[in-house]
Amino acid sequence: MVPSARDMDPAANRPPVTLPPLMGRVAAGDSVAMRECLQRYGNLIYSIARRFDPGDAEDAVQEIFLDLWKSAVRFDENVASETAFVAMIARRRLIDRRRASRRRPTTEQMPDRPTMVDPGAMPDACVEAQQATRALEQLRPEQRQVIVLSAVQGMSHGEIAAQTGMPLGTVKAHARRGLLSIRAALTGVDQGES
Amino acid sequence: MKHLSDQERMRAEELLELRATIGLEPDEERELVALGVADDVSFDLAAASISIATLDVVDEMPAALSAKILLELPGASDTTVMPAMRMSGLVQDSTAERTRLGVGAYAPPVASAPASSPVQPTKTPDVIPIDVARFKRRAAIASTVAALGLAAAAAAVIYVQTRAPIVKTIAENPKQVQSPSEQRAALLANAKDVTTIAWTATKDANAVGATGDVVWSASAQQGFMRFKGLAANDAKQIQYQLWIFDADRPEATPVDGGVFDVASTGEVVVPISAKLAVGKPTLFAVTVERPGGVVVSKRERIVVTAALPS
Repeated sequence: MVPSARDMDPAANRPPVTLPPLMGRVAAGDSVAMRECLQRYGNLIYSIARRFDPGDAEDAVQEIFLDLWKSAVRFDENVASETAFVAMIARRRLIDRRRASRRRPTTEQMPDRPTMVDPGAMPDACVEAQQATRALEQLRPEQRQVIVLSAVQGMSHGEIAAQTGMPLGTVKAHARRGLLSIRAALTGVDQGES
Repeated sequence: MKHLSDQERMRAEELLELRATIGLEPDEERELVALGVADDVSFDLAAASISIATLDVVDEMPAALSAKILLELPGASDTTVMPAMRMSGLVQDSTAERTRLGVGAYAPPVASAPASSPVQPTKTPDVIPIDVARFKRRAAIASTVAALGLAAAAAAVIYVQTRAPIVKTIAENPKQVQSPSEQRAALLANAKDVTTIAWTATKDANAVGATGDVVWSASAQQGFMRFKGLAANDAKQIQYQLWIFDADRPEATPVDGGVFDVASTGEVVVPISAKLAVGKPTLFAVTVERPGGVVVSKRERIVVTAALPS
């Protein structure tokens, strides 16, 4: 296999920094942990929400944190890193909101809102993101397009077909196989084993 | 776990993929439960990982939003201890006081059981259940497969070790906070293939007197729009949306470059957020659309265009 640019970049392959998990303390009602959680994951959640639901990102983030306080008790470090767990909780709420509002996915760029520019920082945020990055690089470009539009922006298969000009059946196939590939990279289970 | 036929397994994967990306209808949720795979979060984890992996720019959460969340923390309305003040940093938390109040003082309802008690998660639609056994099984399979070769075994060890909770806070990263104007200047200074094209205003009422330009770097897949004189919009009524026509794509399906608002007729710089890779841009066009934008524009109101020389 030809090494990718990421394979050749030592910084991209360094192990993520480990911080003590907060979910156990959050589940126990530790207010200090909740504050730390807000500080640790606030920008991540806000960034995901802005890409998924730009029109109502702030409302969404508030709901996500309420979900997080309730769901913290379910965090299991044997299943996922805390960062990935938090992102899963965030996405579940965003998907529910999208389904409720039936608003189309898009992104909104507020002209004067400062952003924190740190290219390449977030893929190191958790081991799953590193693995996902590598797996995404292995996908065919059109497969990667579809899975990113689907997973990051929550676009439906029909919307992706309209946006890309791909046949609907092709979009469905790319979405499923793409996500299966990422899942296989994370779980170590081949697509046919599950 | 229930044994699934090939057909059932394919259906289960389809439903899990949909749940992880766009969600399920109630009947689909029931179908997933009937298939016995509703607890499988591996697809949700994959989608979440993609969400994190594709964040190349991290947005800073507004301070006012942080403050709102702090005020809504469980127990924040408790008038006896005024925890909201403590949580917002107005009052320092004291270990002694926490001991007196007990750790459950701010606990959300589902987490109020003592830490040592076996907590039985209540299944609700907005909670992701975790199937630990399933993941442990997967780790075991990975280890078995890896035992076939030293290199593969080493990879498996690394894999298992890296399953530990790993978190890197955004605050840990050295950040460079830049406004869109500064980002645009940096792109112009650093990218060697930046193209700058002046906007041409149409006769649309919102475009009268509008000037500015668009800059785009194909190598960086990054660009910015600059406007002066484009009418401010009420985001509840209309929003602007950029479209990028690409020589490598059909003219009917230009790339969505993002929805944006203009707050004033002064100079505004807007980052381009192209949803797809743009190979050979031929035309940038801004349309007026309904709030939230559209997937395919009817091109009824075009306010400015910028064509690249052919």
